[in-house]
Amino acid sequence: MGRIPRDYLINRLITLVLTILIAATIIWIIPRLSPVDPAEIALGRMAAGAGSVANSEEILAQLRANMGIDQPLIVQYLKYISGALVFDFGLSTAAFPTPVSTLILNALPWTLGLMILSLLITFFIGNLLGALMVWERSPKLVKVAIPAAMVFTSIPPILSGLLLMWIFAAKLQWFPLTGAYSIFVEPGWNWAFVQSVISHGFLPALSIVVVTFGFWALGMRGLMIGVQGEDYVKLAEAKGLKPRYILYRYMIRNAILPQITAFALKIGLLIAGQVLVERIFAYNGMGKLLYDAILNQDFPVIQGVSYVIILITALSVFMVDLLYPFIDPRIRHETA
Amino acid sequence: MLDNDIRTDKPVLTLKDLSIEFPTPKGVVQAVSALSLDIHKGRRVGFIGESGSGKTTTALSVMQMLAEPGRVSGGTIDLGGTDILGLSEEEMRRARLSRVAYIPQGAMNSLNPVMRVEPQMWDGIIAHEGHMDRAELKRRSDAALQSVGLPLHTGALYPHELSGGMKQRVCIAMGIILNPELIIADEPTSALDVVTQRQVMQTLKAIQSEIGSGLMLIGHDMGLMAQTVDELAVLKDGELVEHGTVQQILEAPKHPYTRDLISSVPLVGGESFLNPDARAEAPRRDSSEPLLRFENVRKNYGAVTALQPLSFTLQGDTPQIISIVGQSGSGKSTMGSIMLGFNPPSEGRVLFEGQDVAGMNAAQSLEFRKNVQAVFQDPYACFNPFYRVNHALKFPFRQFGLSKGEEHTQSAMEEACEAVGLDPDLVLTRYPHQLSGGQRQRLIVARALMLSPKLLIADEPVSMVDASLRASILSNIYDLKDKYGISILYITHDLATAYHVSDFVMVLFKGHVVEAGPPREVIGAPQHPYTQLLIDSIPWPDLQRSWGDGKTDWDPTALEAEAAKASAVYRGDVPGFDLALG
Repeated sequence: MGRIPRDYLINRLITLVLTILIAATIIWIIPRLSPVDPAEIALGRMAAGAGSVANSEEILAQLRANMGIDQPLIVQYLKYISGALVFDFGLSTAAFPTPVSTLILNALPWTLGLMILSLLITFFIGNLLGALMVWERSPKLVKVAIPAAMVFTSIPPILSGLLLMWIFAAKLQWFPLTGAYSIFVEPGWNWAFVQSVISHGFLPALSIVVVTFGFWALGMRGLMIGVQGEDYVKLAEAKGLKPRYILYRYMIRNAILPQITAFALKIGLLIAGQVLVERIFAYNGMGKLLYDAILNQDFPVIQGVSYVIILITALSVFMVDLLYPFIDPRIRHETA
Repeated sequence: MLDNDIRTDKPVLTLKDLSIEFPTPKGVVQAVSALSLDIHKGRRVGFIGESGSGKTTTALSVMQMLAEPGRVSGGTIDLGGTDILGLSEEEMRRARLSRVAYIPQGAMNSLNPVMRVEPQMWDGIIAHEGHMDRAELKRRSDAALQSVGLPLHTGALYPHELSGGMKQRVCIAMGIILNPELIIADEPTSALDVVTQRQVMQTLKAIQSEIGSGLMLIGHDMGLMAQTVDELAVLKDGELVEHGTVQQILEAPKHPYTRDLISSVPLVGGESFLNPDARAEAPRRDSSEPLLRFENVRKNYGAVTALQPLSFTLQGDTPQIISIVGQSGSGKSTMGSIMLGFNPPSEGRVLFEGQDVAGMNAAQSLEFRKNVQAVFQDPYACFNPFYRVNHALKFPFRQFGLSKGEEHTQSAMEEACEAVGLDPDLVLTRYPHQLSGGQRQRLIVARALMLSPKLLIADEPVSMVDASLRASILSNIYDLKDKYGISILYITHDLATAYHVSDFVMVLFKGHVVEAGPPREVIGAPQHPYTQLLIDSIPWPDLQRSWGDGKTDWDPTALEAEAAKASAVYRGDVPGFDLALG
């Protein structure tokens, strides 16, 4: 495999940095368009706890200073951007004074684990089924069963989650109902903990797989139909190659290329899409963190989570871009 | 009918009463009916006919690769003693490539774009002989590449790094790698220009005689057939209407359809396919400004100069047809897109009626778009498949404000259709996919005509339609000049048609005009070595004429050096067109 052309690399790097900067700016602007004052919310929370609060004006001013929202907008913006570069998003207003980065760091591994696992499974299953729907030699049963299974795609993940939870956790009791791991095991690298994580993650992952594999299958089906009519597939048959070899090396190998780009884009979307699934299963990942932050008007957390989602998306697109010249030799040619 | 002494061998392919049908919801379509024919070892048999005549269907039935829902409904196919129709799927797979090889039509897309050339040759060997030593695979792919005159490093390249001619040769190399008894070549050169076509065809002939296999060559070009095959089978509507040696067919064609096929080949110097008596005096236009003017126009793509500085003036008062001829990569299509204003020149100016095409305001640009119309190569890609064709005709007519109401639009459409020989009642309410390539290309001409343009740019307008239709579509285009006074720039690689339709010819080579002048001089008696090469590369339906037999490599670098040395030849001018060379 050849190396990546320098111009191409520079081009993609600039795109990456610009994407992150612009996204970070938009994330910062949006909450500031809202009339809600986070200091008042925090004060309200204190008042609700204590019954009444004396000298509220002073406390408000103090809160604003702590949150840094008493400064001019430009100062706030520069502080935010320079903080964002080192993952410092300030303190959570709801879980005051926990740093946002600590909250994200606690939630991120759970979401990444659950998400990447379910995404990889869906990607594999979905593309394979999509390819088999088109392949002439697929068993008849496959061609009937897959479109039927597509029905699940129209189910919202919240419903599939509840359904799976009811069948497998509540009725059959094969899996635990909620949480990311059992409260009776010690978190760490021990077998009991790993086992607990897997059994807790199974249903949330399954509920995502069941409703998203259709996306890949349908996309792959369309791409395969295009590739099926290509002259090189016909010539492969005329060369007397074995049908399975043609399927893998000539058809899927070419049809999958646009799907790989879509895969990178899906990663970011999935964290957002996982909000409800995590909520149902009380799975303490990024989705649940975001959900709670929105309910509590916890702007620093919303900003932090959004920023991390964008960062992950931009980085995965960047990595796919770097990978692409190796999986599609034509890219190297065009940019060289 | 044929000499008996060549029939001493057992035939490699025997088709007996072969019938192929396509059951469709509207009824059974008979694609091939009761076709009987033998192909002997070492013999080249041409299958000639228009699209839809059943020639490709016959070939695919030998491969057992008929498209759904086609099926052999009668007769037998015998490949060197094996009954093809009795083979199981796995047995047939083993027979492909090892006993019958297929060289496809669309060499452009026939190679897997994500695999290097060599592994695509190896997987063919492995599929039939099992896994083997990599060095052995490499030795065999090298030998195959060498036999088709490709440098060995070609094997390590990806398909997109090869030219069309190289890809087609790779396909030939793949086809012969297992020494098959029969090679089926389905219009292997239809996408190539004449110079490359001759190289590829001579390569195929040489290697086929070397391995002594039978060759079934499918095509629609009588000239190419005459120069390539020993026997000809003429197909029409799925029936074999005539079969004999190429000499018998060319010298004494029995069937009227065969005669039509032979006469539809435009010849340089031969009788014109245009009817000269019917020519009206072309209407003149009054105009002080020249219609189109190139002022030192040059085009670079990066470091490559696609078009060397060129100046010419085309007057608008007498309509002219100016042909621009050359191989692919000569810069002729670049020139067309510069004239259309799609592609700004790197240097110099293009003036249309005195206006710089690059500096037009919105109103001028609209006027320019109406006055300069285009007909492109691919009539399949020129229509939006979602609309009926009358939409494609109506839309620009209304958009340019030419319509005076629904009835006027309708009558303009009908008139334009009739002008290009189409029945408006039959075609206008159809969808593009319901029409043939020839019909679509005529509609494109009709669409241009409706806007009464002053200049028409026709970029290879007939290279994708059947040979028998080319002449009539070209005469439609020719009529635009005669009856409507439209000047035409005809961009083509087909010198024979350029000879007949044009008033002035420019030969382009690597962005340089190497020879220019009236067609009778430039094409009829070429002086520049490059023009001579182009003329010599045309396959003539004339057995006396040599097509460079035995020679398989024309060294392009030597040719370029020779062509670069020779200075441009100017062969006289025509009124209304001035070309400045240099």
